[in-house]
Amino acid sequence: MKRLLAFGLAFGLVVAGCGGGGLGGGGGLKIGMVTDIGQLEDKSFNEFSWKGVQDGASAVGGSAKNIVTKDIADYKQNIQSFVDQKYDVIVTVGFLIGTDTLAAAKANPGIQFFGVDQFIPDPIPANYQGLLFNEAQAGYLAGIVAGTITKSSKIGAVGGREDVPPVVNYIKGYENAAKSVKPGVQVLVNYVGDFNAPDKGEASAKTMIGQGADVVFQVAGLTGAGVLRAACNAKIWGIGVDVDQYQSLPDAKACIVTSAEKRLQNATRDAIKRFKDKGKQSGNFTNDATNDGIGYSPIRNLNPVPAGLEDKLKQAIADMKSGKLKPVP
Amino acid sequence: MEVVGTLVRLIWELGVYLVTVLPDLLPIILALATPLALGALCGVLNERSGVVNIGIEGIMLMAAFFGYLTGFALHDAMGSGPSIALGILIAVLVGALLGVLHAWLTVSVRADQIIAGTMMNIAAFGVTGYLNRLVITPSGRGGAGVITPFHLPDQIANLPLVGPILVMFFDQGPIAMSLVFIVIALQLALFRTRWGLRTRAVGEHPKAADTVGIDVYRQRYLNVILGCAFAGLAGAFLTLESTGSFQNGMTNGRGFIALAAMIFGRWTPIGAFAGALLFGTATALGVVVAVRVPEGDLGGIMRSIPSYWYAALPYLMTIVILAGVVGRSTPPAADGVPYVKEGKG
Repeated sequence: MKRLLAFGLAFGLVVAGCGGGGLGGGGGLKIGMVTDIGQLEDKSFNEFSWKGVQDGASAVGGSAKNIVTKDIADYKQNIQSFVDQKYDVIVTVGFLIGTDTLAAAKANPGIQFFGVDQFIPDPIPANYQGLLFNEAQAGYLAGIVAGTITKSSKIGAVGGREDVPPVVNYIKGYENAAKSVKPGVQVLVNYVGDFNAPDKGEASAKTMIGQGADVVFQVAGLTGAGVLRAACNAKIWGIGVDVDQYQSLPDAKACIVTSAEKRLQNATRDAIKRFKDKGKQSGNFTNDATNDGIGYSPIRNLNPVPAGLEDKLKQAIADMKSGKLKPVP
Repeated sequence: MEVVGTLVRLIWELGVYLVTVLPDLLPIILALATPLALGALCGVLNERSGVVNIGIEGIMLMAAFFGYLTGFALHDAMGSGPSIALGILIAVLVGALLGVLHAWLTVSVRADQIIAGTMMNIAAFGVTGYLNRLVITPSGRGGAGVITPFHLPDQIANLPLVGPILVMFFDQGPIAMSLVFIVIALQLALFRTRWGLRTRAVGEHPKAADTVGIDVYRQRYLNVILGCAFAGLAGAFLTLESTGSFQNGMTNGRGFIALAAMIFGRWTPIGAFAGALLFGTATALGVVVAVRVPEGDLGGIMRSIPSYWYAALPYLMTIVILAGVVGRSTPPAADGVPYVKEGKG
C-alpha cells in the first residue's frame, strides 16, 4: 500500500512537471497560467489567454509559464504548483476553475490572481481580480452584421440557458442592434436549456430556418455547434461566439460570417500591465469597447461585403467607447 | 360554462397550431427519434428472447466513442466518406461484441441481468471518458466530419401532404433513413418467420421451446448480439451522423428512454418505433414552441411557461409512461429469467 502511494505521488509530480512550457527570462515577474481543460492550442480561451499572458510578460519584463489542465480534479493541484514555485502572478482560465482560484487567493495573499471569465462574489480578496467581458456590446456588433445581411428580415439566436446572464446579455445586445439597423426585423430567440446538446441546437436552428431566418447567432457552447451545422447545411449565415469560431470550429467554416468576440489576449495582457503599474488588483474588471476588450472577428464568406457594414461596426464601437451607445438600455 | 368554452377554444387552437408546425418538424422528429428507436429495437430483441438489458445506454456510448475514434483517426488518411463508413461499421461491431459479453454474463454464467447491465453502463462511462481524455482531447479539435444529409428536390418536397412525409424520411443521413426499413423488417421477422417464432418461444416459455428441440442458449446469444449491434448503430448515429463530436456521457439517458419506448411499444418493433417518435416529438415541440409561439391566448399561456419545462418534456413523459398511465403492458413471461437446462442445474 505504501509503495503504491509513493508511486502515485511520483506519478502526480511527473504529470504536473510535464505540463509546463513557456517563455524564459531572468529576473522580473514570474507569471503562471493554468488553462481550462483541453489543450493549449485550442484556438479558443486557452490559446488567446496564453498569448495575452506572454504579451503581458514581455511588456513588463517578466517570464511566463503555463500548465495545461487535463481534468477538473487537477485545477487545485496545478494552481498549487505555481504557488509552491513562488510565482508572483497566477492567471487561471475559465469559469469552472473559479472556485479553486478563490480558495488559492485567500490562502496566498502575497500572490496576485487573475481569473478569466470568473465573476467573484463578495467578499473579494484584495489579490484576486475577475476578468469579465461586456457581452452585450459584443452581441450588439453581431446584431449589426445580422441586421445588415438578412434578406428575409428574420434572424435567429440560440442560447444555452436563460439563467446564465452572459448568454442573455449577448442575445439582448444582438436583438437591439439588429432592430436598430433594420427596423421591423424579426428576431427569433430560443434558449434550449442545455450547453451540451448539439442535436437540440440543430433542431432549434432548423426550426428558425424553416420560419425564414437567414442568419443565426449561437450562444450555446457545444449546443451551438449543432446550430452552426444546421446553418451550413441550409446554406444560410451563422455567427459564432466568444472567439473567432471560423478558426475554432472547422466544421462551420463554410457559413460563418463573423463571431462576437471576447478579446482574451488584450484582457490578460492588460491585467498583467495593471498589476505591474498599480500593484494588487481586486474586484471584477470588465473588458469592453473602451479597452478593446470585445470586438468582432474578420468578416468572412460575404461576397461582396455589404457597403457600409464595416463603417457601421466601427461607428458602433466608437459610440460604445464614448458611452453614447448603450447596447442594452 | 364559460370555462368549458375557453378550454375547448384553447384545445382547438392547440390542434390548429400542431397541424401547422408539424410538417416542418417531421424531419427533426425522426432525427431525434433515431437513436431512441435503435436502442429500443435492441431492447425488443433482447427481452423478446428473455434477456433483460439495461446496459443499452452503455453500449451506445461505447459504440459512439469507438465509431468516432475510427472516423477521427482515419479522417486524414482516407477522406471523410470512407472513414465515416468504417466508423459506423466499427461502432456496430463494438455493439455486437458487447452483446457477446452481455449474453455470456446473462445466458451462460446466469449473472443477475440488472447488475450485468448496470456494470455495462458504469464501465462504458469510465472507459470512454478515460480514453477520450487520453486520445481525443489532447489531439485537437478536428472532428471526424459528419455525413451531410440528403436533400429532396423542392418539386417533391413541396407536394401537398405527401411532401412533408417524404421529407421526413429522406432529408436524413443514411442511418436515420434506413431506420424505417429496419423496423419493418424486424416486425415481419419477429412475427412471420421461424426465427421470430423461436425467439418469442424462448422468451415466453424456454422449457417448452427446449422440449421441441430449440436451442435456447443459442437463440438467446444470437438475439442479444444482434440487438446490441443495433444499439451500436445508435451510437454511430450520435457521433457520426448527428453531432460530429464525442462528449463524455453524451448518450445522456437515451438508453433508458429507449427502454421506455420499448415498454410503450409493448415489445414490438413498430410499437417501439412509435414510442421513439413520441419522445422525439416531445423534444422537438419543446424546442419549437419557443421559436414559433402561436397567436392568441394559447400563445400567451405558452409564453408564460418557463423554457425549462419544455426542455424537461421528454423526461416527464418517460416518467408518466413508465408509471403505467398507458395501461399495463405485459413483458415476455420469461423476461429476465435465466434458463437452466434440465439435468444441468
